[in-house]
Amino acid sequence: MVTVRYFAAARAAAGLPSERVDIGDDATVADALDAIAARHGVELHKVLGACSFLVDSVAVRDRAMPLRPGAELDVLPPFAGG
Amino acid sequence: MSLPPLVEPAAELTKEEVVRYSRHLIIPEVGMVGQKRLKNAKVLVIGAGGLGSPALLYLAAAGVGTLGIVEFDEVDESNLQRQVIHGQSDIGRPKGESARDSIREINPLVEVKLYQLRLDSSNALDIFRDYDLILDGTDNFATRYLVNDAAVLLGKPYVWGSIFRFEGQASVFWADAPGGQGLQYRDLYPEPPPPGMVPSCAEGGVLGVLCASIGSIMVTEAIKLITGIGEPLLGRLVVYDALEMSYRTIKIRRDPTGDPITELIDYAEFCGAVSDDAATAAADSTITARELKEMIDSGKDFALIDVREPNEYEIVRIPGSILIPKDRILSGEALSELPQDKPLVLHCKSGQRSAEALAALHKAGFRDAVHVGGGVLAWAKQVDPSLPVY
Repeated sequence: MVTVRYFAAARAAAGLPSERVDIGDDATVADALDAIAARHGVELHKVLGACSFLVDSVAVRDRAMPLRPGAELDVLPPFAGG
Repeated sequence: MSLPPLVEPAAELTKEEVVRYSRHLIIPEVGMVGQKRLKNAKVLVIGAGGLGSPALLYLAAAGVGTLGIVEFDEVDESNLQRQVIHGQSDIGRPKGESARDSIREINPLVEVKLYQLRLDSSNALDIFRDYDLILDGTDNFATRYLVNDAAVLLGKPYVWGSIFRFEGQASVFWADAPGGQGLQYRDLYPEPPPPGMVPSCAEGGVLGVLCASIGSIMVTEAIKLITGIGEPLLGRLVVYDALEMSYRTIKIRRDPTGDPITELIDYAEFCGAVSDDAATAAADSTITARELKEMIDSGKDFALIDVREPNEYEIVRIPGSILIPKDRILSGEALSELPQDKPLVLHCKSGQRSAEALAALHKAGFRDAVHVGGGVLAWAKQVDPSLPVY
């Protein structure tokens, strides 16, 4: 079980600010992303393509990284407007 | 965790300065010494646009002694909905000069230095070197990574803010921060998003007042860093949502696996103006707005497809165009709606989105499809200047 928090366009696409996602104990970041994309459909899937992901506050560079049970995964779409 | 003050105090405040800054001076946390630090501070603001406008006004009013402004652009009427440092009579003037004049009116004690150029890898380090603190209010990913990397190389702190529609983000980055708290933009966004996936404010719009919401957070952080008060946003990202009226805070930690930054690179290439596929597709399949006009005038049979969003189509359109938003083409959903028996001409606002859609159409077998370089903006400029642009 991990907690996923959605921000900005990801929050809009998921329709909620955060949720608990039940994935296996040896699941990776990629597994978690597959799970939330399957749950929320094409809109979120599109947004995920541009997002940065933080696991327990550290940016993810390798999506094969395993997630500890209870980990917090932040889904953060970038924007560069100024 | 707090940080020590970034700037040493100036020797004194004049009688005039004591009067001007009295509301600061009577706050114990700021006081005479804090105001003297502001007087001695040199702050560089990148961009005198949406975020730079409120940031510069408040930094000037607060008594920051030296303000540098990096800005190459000119004031356009479409800026005035949010770029409050510029006014009606400034349209067509260089933004840097317009900003400097406004600052002089707000606070003549501030020294303003203008850099009327595009920040790039050849000039960033030289410009940054003279400043205590940098504010990043630019409008594209390439410049954002450039600002970060230059700040990292020089060990400078900077305040970062960005905006889109109703949402904003702000943080403080300082790779060399004391006490092992160091953190940079790449710890939050290790890599730029794929080109074309994140719309700019010019493409997606921005609520004007959002600039003030995020710009004021940026100035607040700047004042805290200069004077050494409070808890800086270093290691935290503020995410603001104007519709929900909520601020959420995300903790960020240094990524121990991040590659060290050793030099400035080619940031346009790093961020990719358009994807390789789009660049390839557009290479020999781009027509000009004038060529499109000739095709229409000669009675040629073809379909003109506008790949922008419905609200943009409402603002301005090329006569005879059919609206099919880019995403519906990229997903394949709209392919069956396209005429098979005549040539296709795509266009968008400026040519980036239509290049992405063009690549998808070439792959789907529409080999003869072309797009209009410069999009509807080029059409309005070259063919029909009576049309509004946005």
